[in-house]
Amino acid sequence: MSTLNYSRTKQAARWFDIRQRKVGMWAYALNRITGIGLVVYLYLHLGVLSMLMRGQSAWDAFVALARSPLYLVLDVILLAGILIHGLNGLRLAFTGLGFSVGAQKALFIILMVIGAIILLVAGLKIFAV
Amino acid sequence: MSVNTFDQESRPTVAWLWQVVTGVGLVVLLGLHMIANHFIAKGGLRDYAAVVAYLRNPIILVLEILFLVCVTTHALLGVRAIFLDFGVSDRIERMLTQVLKWIGVLTVVYGLVIMWFVIR
Repeated sequence: MSTLNYSRTKQAARWFDIRQRKVGMWAYALNRITGIGLVVYLYLHLGVLSMLMRGQSAWDAFVALARSPLYLVLDVILLAGILIHGLNGLRLAFTGLGFSVGAQKALFIILMVIGAIILLVAGLKIFAV
Repeated sequence: MSVNTFDQESRPTVAWLWQVVTGVGLVVLLGLHMIANHFIAKGGLRDYAAVVAYLRNPIILVLEILFLVCVTTHALLGVRAIFLDFGVSDRIERMLTQVLKWIGVLTVVYGLVIMWFVIR
């Protein structure tokens, strides 16, 4: 017997439906999408780190590859995901604990602007390496 | 009357509180990890010799282990929350929790093995 039923699946999927374009829906969809992306990245990252067990030549060859422009673009995308998820997560923590509940929209927008500024500075630093 | 879409977000539970605790820990530990390994490190990444020297510092090792535990716990609690959005039964929820716990334990052990290989 299936444990999922259609209405529940539809209810869960609503977080990814951003057609309503309400800020709260954007905030939640962004948190879920970046969260899933970061979990996938975590396990890819752990897989890559296994090269450390294969010794110096394997790791240093990977490091040379990871300094290529394509990898640097992926680094910037990763950082964007971390900033969106982390800053949005801080908002969720604050409001979930009862702080600034009435100012969620403003808090979300302010934190995303801060994230964009950090991303811009870090992106310039990444490509300046 | 307009719907406040922020009101549809999840409310505190024990798992949620753990996610907040590990999330706040990650703000600090991930920040340190990124700065130390990708912004301070020459060329944006440490070569093998630099990784060995970095992890042989006992303070760094403790921080990296804490980071590994925090990031794994936070990630798997997040996966659990997404599955629970589908409205699974109590039995499936218990099974899911157990499976994710074991995945978490294996992930941390795997990370510790890599660290041990590097510093031995």
